[in-house]
Amino acid sequence: MSKDMPDFSNVKSGSSSTAPKVYVVVKGDTLSKIAKHEYGRAGDWKRIFEANRDILDDPDKIFPGQKLKIPPQ
Amino acid sequence: MSTKSVPAALAVVAAVALTLAACGKKEEPPQAQVAPPPVSMPAPPAAEPAPPVAAAPAEVAVATLTLGNAVGADARVSAPTETFAPADTIYVSVDTTGAGTAAMAVKWTYHQDGQVAVVKEELISIAPTGPATTEFHVSKPDGWPAGDYAVEIVLNGKPAGSRTFVVR
Repeated sequence: MSKDMPDFSNVKSGSSSTAPKVYVVVKGDTLSKIAKHEYGRAGDWKRIFEANRDILDDPDKIFPGQKLKIPPQ
Repeated sequence: MSTKSVPAALAVVAAVALTLAACGKKEEPPQAQVAPPPVSMPAPPAAEPAPPVAAAPAEVAVATLTLGNAVGADARVSAPTETFAPADTIYVSVDTTGAGTAAMAVKWTYHQDGQVAVVKEELISIAPTGPATTEFHVSKPDGWPAGDYAVEIVLNGKPAGSRTFVVR
């Protein structure tokens, strides 16, 4: 029965919000990687860094489980 | 007459004395102290309703869902429709009220002959400080199969709204 169902494996998705999004850091993440995922541009990592200066001192030091505010695009 | 008038005069004097004594007591401060409480008591209840309204920030809640094939910079659907073409990017914008942190999930599904296929799911966390709009979108490079679809929004684990749409 399920053979007749279309294949949706190549569907692409995305989202944006006028509210700050919250991103939970996972192992292997970098600010550039998160910026690429959220904004489509790794170079936008500074926006995330600046929005989280209250919890980040060094952009190269983020830790799994940290909740980062992602400013709206 | 004189024997009757003496007791009568004494009675009058006694009555006047008692009246004066009574009047003197009523003018004592205790009455002024008793009177204010009843006046001041009703005042606090009249002033109380305002603080609770301002002090209780509302949790994030979904107000409206809108489907369309384009959104503006404000994340709101600019071209609402529930009928799409195979090449369309399909958007759903979610208007929320309230403030705080909320986990918002979207689930796109395809329905055919009683069967349901999950098209895409996504989960994000948002931290609005007031009314906000969040948009989710999906696209399919080789085109959407014609048929019936639905999109469901789940907020903090609870269903918060859904819409159905068709692709022709």
